[in-house]
Amino acid sequence: MGFPACGLAGREVLTRKREKREGGVTRYLRLWFALGKFGLLREMAFRGNFLARLAVEVLWFGIMLIFYDAIFAQTAGNPVAGWGRYEYYFFVGCYFALGGLIETLFLSNCGEFADLVRSGDLDFYLLKPIDEQFLLTCRDLDWATAPNVLMGAGLMVFALLNMPAWTFDPLLAGLFLALFVCGLGMAYSFLLLLMSTSVWLVRNQSLYELWWLFTTLMRYPREIFRGSWELVGRLFTYVIPIMVATNVPANVMAKRLLDPVLVGYTFAATAALLYLSRKFFRLALRRYRSASS
Amino acid sequence: MSPATNPPDALALPLPPARPFRKYFNIFRASLTERLAYRADFFLSTMLRFLPVLTTILLWHAIYAAAGTGRSLAGYSEDQMIAYLLLVHISRMFSSMPGLAHGIARDIRDGNLKKYLLQPIEMIPYLLSYRVAHKAAYIATSALPYALLFFLCRDYFTLPTDPWIWAGYLVSLLLGFLVGFFFEATIGMLGFWFLQIGSFLYVINTMSFFLSGHMLPLDVLPAGMAEVLKFLPFKYLAYYPATIFLGKVQGEELVWGLVIELAWATAFIVMACWLYRRGLRHYSAYGG
Repeated sequence: MGFPACGLAGREVLTRKREKREGGVTRYLRLWFALGKFGLLREMAFRGNFLARLAVEVLWFGIMLIFYDAIFAQTAGNPVAGWGRYEYYFFVGCYFALGGLIETLFLSNCGEFADLVRSGDLDFYLLKPIDEQFLLTCRDLDWATAPNVLMGAGLMVFALLNMPAWTFDPLLAGLFLALFVCGLGMAYSFLLLLMSTSVWLVRNQSLYELWWLFTTLMRYPREIFRGSWELVGRLFTYVIPIMVATNVPANVMAKRLLDPVLVGYTFAATAALLYLSRKFFRLALRRYRSASS
Repeated sequence: MSPATNPPDALALPLPPARPFRKYFNIFRASLTERLAYRADFFLSTMLRFLPVLTTILLWHAIYAAAGTGRSLAGYSEDQMIAYLLLVHISRMFSSMPGLAHGIARDIRDGNLKKYLLQPIEMIPYLLSYRVAHKAAYIATSALPYALLFFLCRDYFTLPTDPWIWAGYLVSLLLGFLVGFFFEATIGMLGFWFLQIGSFLYVINTMSFFLSGHMLPLDVLPAGMAEVLKFLPFKYLAYYPATIFLGKVQGEELVWGLVIELAWATAFIVMACWLYRRGLRHYSAYGG
């Protein structure tokens, strides 16, 4: 009596899952929202820790401001690497917001990937009826770093308001937002590439450190690469375009520098990187051999 | 010969040999072996650390270019500034103590502390020998990449000719190690009274990175802030040894500076030991 019914039910479940899978973007957005809410609830269970981590982020932001303020006091306000005081502040704000988004949305998830590979727990994630890349890179939101986005945005607005010649141009603001999203996409792709290598280098505990070292290149205007270092600057602009992620959006908004080649390149490179990193991630998954029994 | 006669024999244990340092030397040796097992991984991450060094140097080139050629900022010429930013890496190599306070607090929290109470071994000397081994391994494995870095950057350096500066530099580094170790140990001892100090440590470490002068020489900061920061012990973790090397503190001032550093080190040693003794009275060995 039970068997045929079970078979039907199972088939039905599978069909339903397939239907839901085809549900597409809205389903993933709903899932992401639910995961984010769950993450926030968990953070709220350890409120003291959450507040301390928040304090560290605010402290870090303050230290950056003191640092750049001291530097511009020393140069008597002269532009550093072609960036005036407030233009530079805008750049710092842009980096802070972008870094904050990456940390909030993806970094802690990607940091755990190496452990999942080593322990074999990755199996459980691969069995879930959902896109593996989404599940592994977006399953948790780290809310403690979310205010960085606000602080970065605040600094950008502050910097713009302090530029005497600046006026609001909706077209430019729209382009900035689009380029900022591209920057996010690029940074995400690099993170995904770096994470995927954990399948081959099983002992890869320091993704956080690797990421921090790598994003050093996002942290400064690319004009600091001068003279004999210009070639290195070009390498990290065109070949491994990590510097583009912050430099192009900040240039467009703060300096109204609209280099059509570089802007076009940013869009193209983002699409290429998102595609390639996904391919590489899937290749890594195919190379994954479950570690546990 | 019967088993029954054994217990009295076992109880009449011979006195421990009169070589108290030997056990700590053995701990040193074992920890060194553990550290060197991951040398390839370690070497790689040390190499990667050069990326921020490069961008920092380039940033400061840009800053000096902005200030006007040949100008010195807060008493530092361009070469001195870059030398300073490289020298703080050496200071931190001695003074940074990753995981020390955290480890102590964890041992207290999960009851592992009792191993020090049951075994004829003291916690602080144990951790000290362990840390010295880690530092020795760290310095040995990173010597090559750092030698390469300093060789590439040799033009920024003017080596001190005065042997007293070299002596003072070495002493300040060793004292920096002690200040760093016992400061962290003191913080770790707070674990006797607070269940969770991890979050507090985050804040302390972030502050220390800035207050120690790791990011930039304290002299570059606004005058009032710099004066205050020079009174705090954090400067011995990065700023102070580097300024000795650059010849910014000399003669009597150098001697007094080192005496004050010694006083801070002593204060933290006393504080860590005192908190440990007080804490033990408070301790109730949770965990299995």
